[in-house]
Amino acid sequence: MPSDTVLIIGGGPAGLYAARSVADLGAPVMLVEKREHLGGTPVTANYASFTPHLEDAETSMQRMVNEVSNDPQIEILLQTRVTAGGGGPGDFAVTLASRSGETRELSVGSIIVATGFDHFDPGRETQMYGYYEYEDVLTLVDAEKMLKAKQFVRPSTGEPPKRVCFIQCVGSRDRRLGNEYCSKVCCGVATKEAIEIKELLPDAKVFIFYIDMRMYGFWEDQLYWKAQEEHKVNFIRGIVTEVLRRGDSLVIKGEDTTMGRPMEIPMDVVILSVGMVPSAGTIEIAKVLNLPRERHGFLETVGAPLDTVTTPVPGIFVAGAAAGPKDIEDSISMAGTAAMKAVSIVRRQLRQAATTVSAGGGGE
Amino acid sequence: MTSEVPIPVTALTRGTIPQRVFQRDPANAPTEDIREKLFELEAQGEWIVQRVPDDTIEAMTKYGRTKRIPRQFTWHHKSCGQCGHIPGYSTSIFWLHRQLGMEYYDPTDQTSCTAWNYYASATSNAAAQAAVAVRNFAAAYETGYFPMIHCGTSYGHYKETREQLVHHPELRKQVRDIMAKLGKPLVIPEEIVHYSEWVHAMRFEIAKRRVYDVSNITVTVHPACHYYKLVAEDAIYDPDLYGGQRTAVITAVVEALGAKVADYSTWFDCCGFGFRHILVQRDFTRSFATLRKIERMKEEANPDVTLTHDTGCVTTLDKSQFAARAHGRNVGIPVLSEAQFAALAMGAHPYRVCQLHWHSVDYRPLLEKMGIDWQARWAEFQEDIERLRRGEMQFLTWEDADAK
Amino acid sequence: MVTQTAKHSHVADVPYEEKERLFTQVTEDIRFHDYLKGCYECGICVAACPSARFYDFSPRKITQAVAREDIDLVYEQMNEDVWNCSQCFSCDRCPRGNSPGGLITILREVAVKNGLHSAKEALEGYSRIVYKIMSTGTQVSPDMLQPDAFPDWGPEVKDVSDNLDLWRRAIPPETHHTTESAWVVDEKTLTELYLIWHMTGVLDMIKEIDEGLHMILQDVMEEALEEKGFSV
Repeated sequence: MPSDTVLIIGGGPAGLYAARSVADLGAPVMLVEKREHLGGTPVTANYASFTPHLEDAETSMQRMVNEVSNDPQIEILLQTRVTAGGGGPGDFAVTLASRSGETRELSVGSIIVATGFDHFDPGRETQMYGYYEYEDVLTLVDAEKMLKAKQFVRPSTGEPPKRVCFIQCVGSRDRRLGNEYCSKVCCGVATKEAIEIKELLPDAKVFIFYIDMRMYGFWEDQLYWKAQEEHKVNFIRGIVTEVLRRGDSLVIKGEDTTMGRPMEIPMDVVILSVGMVPSAGTIEIAKVLNLPRERHGFLETVGAPLDTVTTPVPGIFVAGAAAGPKDIEDSISMAGTAAMKAVSIVRRQLRQAATTVSAGGGGE
Repeated sequence: MTSEVPIPVTALTRGTIPQRVFQRDPANAPTEDIREKLFELEAQGEWIVQRVPDDTIEAMTKYGRTKRIPRQFTWHHKSCGQCGHIPGYSTSIFWLHRQLGMEYYDPTDQTSCTAWNYYASATSNAAAQAAVAVRNFAAAYETGYFPMIHCGTSYGHYKETREQLVHHPELRKQVRDIMAKLGKPLVIPEEIVHYSEWVHAMRFEIAKRRVYDVSNITVTVHPACHYYKLVAEDAIYDPDLYGGQRTAVITAVVEALGAKVADYSTWFDCCGFGFRHILVQRDFTRSFATLRKIERMKEEANPDVTLTHDTGCVTTLDKSQFAARAHGRNVGIPVLSEAQFAALAMGAHPYRVCQLHWHSVDYRPLLEKMGIDWQARWAEFQEDIERLRRGEMQFLTWEDADAK
Repeated sequence: MVTQTAKHSHVADVPYEEKERLFTQVTEDIRFHDYLKGCYECGICVAACPSARFYDFSPRKITQAVAREDIDLVYEQMNEDVWNCSQCFSCDRCPRGNSPGGLITILREVAVKNGLHSAKEALEGYSRIVYKIMSTGTQVSPDMLQPDAFPDWGPEVKDVSDNLDLWRRAIPPETHHTTESAWVVDEKTLTELYLIWHMTGVLDMIKEIDEGLHMILQDVMEEALEEKGFSV
């Protein structure tokens, strides 16, 4: 008898929404998460708020977690990984391993992979921003952590900074690095954070150094125009080559391409708008389930652009940033679609099995 | 919207990316490993790859790959500017080899890499540049000794040439035909090695032989553009220095010797050599070197010496300060190669070996601070000159250089 | 001495077909596609560039002009801007994998190969250096350190030139016992170098730039080659 259970790997926004959706569609859910908590990256990385509406991330994620907790349809295993998987729709044999070493074999009908992304590490060898040398060079994530605490200070002094800048496209759009894609959300996130910083520190000068501002759809006025017009955030077209220290300040070296000249500007805090890379969990699950990765390293889907969630392996779907840079809306939408497809394929298997039985052993 | 209770600074500092040092993963490096291509082409009969001799020390390059640096049996590809105008630079490199008992060969069958002229005037082309390179490589191969490149520009240029030869079969053919006419095989070395990579590899041996205490010497380091910006993956990095994000090839040597390395805000800037500019349009070179490098170092680090590992950089930084001083600029930092500094620390004669009399900026305060009696040493050297003048000897020999 | 106006009118009078012909030489160089992928005008090249701080010079604008195939602008840049580049390759940091400095090298080569007046002007005063490298196989020699050639380098230059012979003999490595070249170069080595210059068309390039220099080099090289039994 085919299994009617949908296995969801990853308990971040995509995984949580998929779990809720699958349960609502009436199928049992096995939700597996390698960390000790649900909520995924927004929780682990202490996100302050979501882009673009600035709703509180912690509250939102708690709500999502509540939706799946204490539901008899949804079994949740924390600190658990998928270490082996084979078979096909209706009949995937998977092995789960908990951190304590216990393993468990089970059969599931379909799988949704929601293993998310990691943030690009700007301390790596290709970058010249001094992330591991200078305390006052931060990432978007370091800034989120402070903003969540409703604070923004220079780490080296503990005092509020007078001059803050964001450097866009760190770890993205870079052939030298091998990340030849745009990470989609960093322009929106940086602008959101710029607004939040200006709200905390109205007298601070805030700059964003960019190549292109990626302001899709309604972000244009919700974020970009708002940041410029209401909060006087300075957007300067021209990226930065290196960050060094001069006396008490950091100094950034870039070109102001509008004015057509090199610039060297002191800053108190530099925030690197780091992009997305395939997470360690995504790379691992790709090996375990034999899921091909497309040329940028994320999980491959088939049928694009009219299908965003189907992987080349029948019965396995992907939701969220495991498939490439996604914003939170993308992740939720994919999760709903993946849930629908995951349940459909399980139901189809069950129908076929029932038909076969009733027809006396023939059929497909 | 500020919180009532201030959050301690330590809680607010970075913690998202937990480790303070990036773990390199050479298996997933963003660029190809050109050495694999060299061997593939050798297997196809395209050329001979000269292997690095067995006695090597391994170093880590930018993406975590391993580079093998030969300790000895090296064919020294000399630098025009060093031999011509800074002879203490090349002499110090040879002296270090001799002191450490490392066998080397100093050829006369060697041409300039010709890249200074090429970058200055473009009175050459890709084929000529490649042919000059492989002619020198063949000359080394014929002696059985492995090329070791003295100049930073030669090194960077040869790295570029290697890329071009690997990726352009028509260039390889053209150059092979030229070599055939010269009666030479087409040879490419397994690694292109810069002498500063040798000094880096040998830094602990050098430090063991140090006779002067340099712990009170503050050094600023100037890395050569052509060393680490051309074919950027092939340059030495160290995860313990600069967070692993800046080339460490000189800094590691200075630290091994026990001197203090001071940082400054224009570390990545070019010196302003300009190739053509330093010869015929020196206002650019002088302004750039003074304003962007020397004054910044003086203001921010006030070093006793600035060390670099390239001919052009030593020339530019040393020679640009005199006119700047006449204009009242804040300059006056002696400029040496790290080879000369290491040699001095090991007790090399400042004039017979390091040939400091060819340098422009006053190096004597540095020597005094190191405890070197330059007056006595200069008197000895003047004696040597007199002996030469009187015809008592034809040349100063290596034995003379180390005589007490 | 060519006046500014005259130089510009020279640029303006050139027919489009001629500019196009030169542009095609640039794009047909084997290295062209290594040096130019695409450009999103991030400005990192300019940020890193030393010449951009001193001159009205922009590796970004040069790369853009070539990428856009703006024949007129590229011709202008080939005549006016390319000689300001300091060939440091700090611009190789380009995240698209371009080398603006490399493109400039190609542009310069095309300028030289075609004997552009601006190239000759840029290399005025540089002939003795070309002569030195081409004929001796070393770029600079100790006897070039003369106070009238390098007055701004300080009084040590005079000390060197006053004591040149003795000071050169007071350098331990035997290969350094020379004043007319940086180190002692074998005759056979020079022969090989001369053959390389001939076989790769470099001498023809020099003829375009400086006929006088070319004549001298030709004489020196042909004599040496004939002695060794080579004919060119």
